[in-house]
Amino acid sequence: MRSIVLDNEAVQALTNPRNPKHRAVVAHLAGAAARRRRGRVVEAVVPTAVRVEAAWDRAAPSAAAINRFPVRDHTLDSAAADVAAQIQRATSTGVADAHIGATVRSLSSTEVVVLTSDPADIAAVCAPAQATIVNV
Amino acid sequence: MDALEALDEMNRLLDITDGETVNTSMRLPLALRDAAALAVSQFGAAPSTTTMTADALRQAVETLVMETALRLHYEQHPAAKPTLSEIALALAAQDGSPLADRPDLIARAADAVAARRPDADADDVLLWVEAQLAVVA
Repeated sequence: MRSIVLDNEAVQALTNPRNPKHRAVVAHLAGAAARRRRGRVVEAVVPTAVRVEAAWDRAAPSAAAINRFPVRDHTLDSAAADVAAQIQRATSTGVADAHIGATVRSLSSTEVVVLTSDPADIAAVCAPAQATIVNV
Repeated sequence: MDALEALDEMNRLLDITDGETVNTSMRLPLALRDAAALAVSQFGAAPSTTTMTADALRQAVETLVMETALRLHYEQHPAAKPTLSEIALALAAQDGSPLADRPDLIARAADAVAARRPDADADDVLLWVEAQLAVVA
């Protein structure tokens, strides 16, 4: 199973078709769909703190388009908040990136991919968990 | 209910994880049911035939939702549709493949593969590049 985790920049790109990175992020989802057609289990995941940073309110009418892409929330519950707090303290990153790190560490997927515009920070928050970090 | 409304409702239903179950009147071919039971009991294919059936159904429905969401998005925003080459490049990056640094090779392979197999997908393109590289190595 592969989980594709979106950061703020990836969400912004996915939300806005006029964003210069929109097509590149859509290509990742199209690739996921192609793999699923071949029987692979691939999911897209967004940490909820990333949704806050990206102002992605699923209940807002303006979010109707992006909501149609099956992107699962990874919630910042009590356990995830503890891990994110440890990551934030160790790396001095923002809340959203710390939640990305907590998400990556908690996923049971055999493969984790993070789509990000900030590979260095994401590598720091994900370590020591294994993740393929893709610069979008 | 139009296609967008149906897609929204399917996403809403797929997101529900309350574990509520129902006995359905869905009819399965008897032989298929028995084959699935053997797959579970003899080869550990899944914890139960019910799990196996539900997982396969979820995989199929989620894939349909993803493909439909993309298709409807492309209809509304044609410029957002990535090329076969771009999808292959994205998969190479996700795979951590060194091919992710060779968009030129992937683009040429995508053209060659699509010319021979119009229904080829991105993995066909990546396999083509790897095969070509193996031949010349």
